[in-house]
Amino acid sequence: MSDPSRPAGGRVTTPYEGRVAVWDDDAAIEAPLRLHRTTAPPEWMDYNDHMSESCYLLAFGDSADAFFRFLGIDEAYRAAGHSLYTSETHLHHRHEVALGEPLEMTVQLLDHDRRRLHLFHEMRHGDTGTLLACAEQLLVHVDMDQGRSTDLPDQLLERLEALAAAHAGLPRPDVVGRPMGIRR
Amino acid sequence: MPETSIAAPFTAYREQVRPEWLDYNGHLGDASYSIVLSAAHELVLEALGLSADYRESHHASMFTVETHIRYLAECGAGQTLSAETFVVEADRKRLRLHSDLSADGVLVATGESLYLHVDTAAGRTTPLPEDRQRLVDAMRGAHAGLPRPPHLGLGVGVRP
Repeated sequence: MSDPSRPAGGRVTTPYEGRVAVWDDDAAIEAPLRLHRTTAPPEWMDYNDHMSESCYLLAFGDSADAFFRFLGIDEAYRAAGHSLYTSETHLHHRHEVALGEPLEMTVQLLDHDRRRLHLFHEMRHGDTGTLLACAEQLLVHVDMDQGRSTDLPDQLLERLEALAAAHAGLPRPDVVGRPMGIRR
Repeated sequence: MPETSIAAPFTAYREQVRPEWLDYNGHLGDASYSIVLSAAHELVLEALGLSADYRESHHASMFTVETHIRYLAECGAGQTLSAETFVVEADRKRLRLHSDLSADGVLVATGESLYLHVDTAAGRTTPLPEDRQRLVDAMRGAHAGLPRPPHLGLGVGVRP
């Protein structure tokens, strides 16, 4: 398996590091959110010149990071001791991705409670719109000092309510909530 | 391959956490767990004669169609990762593997992969050749008595 890590800094980074979160109460909320576009880079390719499996999760992770900043979770929020941790991901690979293909990511809020978010991510070809991959992600709000889950602050819960209302009319994708299995 | 030689579970994978797998917190990043899971499962495919050499010789390959990871604990630099893998189910074209991933012996994640056997020239699924099917069936048989974790039948969701 090729090494998909990005060279910069010798660790896993995201393109949104350092970008400060700015929520606008009056702005219309896209349904689904389109917060991240990218182009499949050479370091994501395997020996067959197709995107490595784990790089689908890198791309979804970058889109999730853009989503965190959209919601209000940036470096300052994390420095104050809280963050969203991934608790589960369930990824569906639909098509191979080749070097240089434009990738357009979307995020849909499926469900949430006071400390958990269930997101649905799609990766589509930026020109043709073909669905390349999709993923469910379950996130938990964590108090990093205590090392345990904790409720989101009211301000972020209000934003999630607004987001949930904006996404209420979106269709629920058929893979959502479905366990992996061989169906006959 | 006689059934007695098949490890249950399969435990060949062992690797130190690499610095390039770490995120801003110095912990293994979300996507890095999937690198580890793929590497552990690739060793199973190798034991089944379905890895790189097979792709070359048969113009066919096991394609990952689904990956489900449950993140249970953080791990970081200097730790040694290992996997305990079993065959959950399989048929003539499909293989489903489950792994417990541990760091220094402590469970940090579980991961499942679903593979399709694809004829790479024709670009479509095709049944496994008989010799490979026998190896898959033997491993599935050797793993049939292992305990099934309850999360195998669960999808992702916000549960009460």
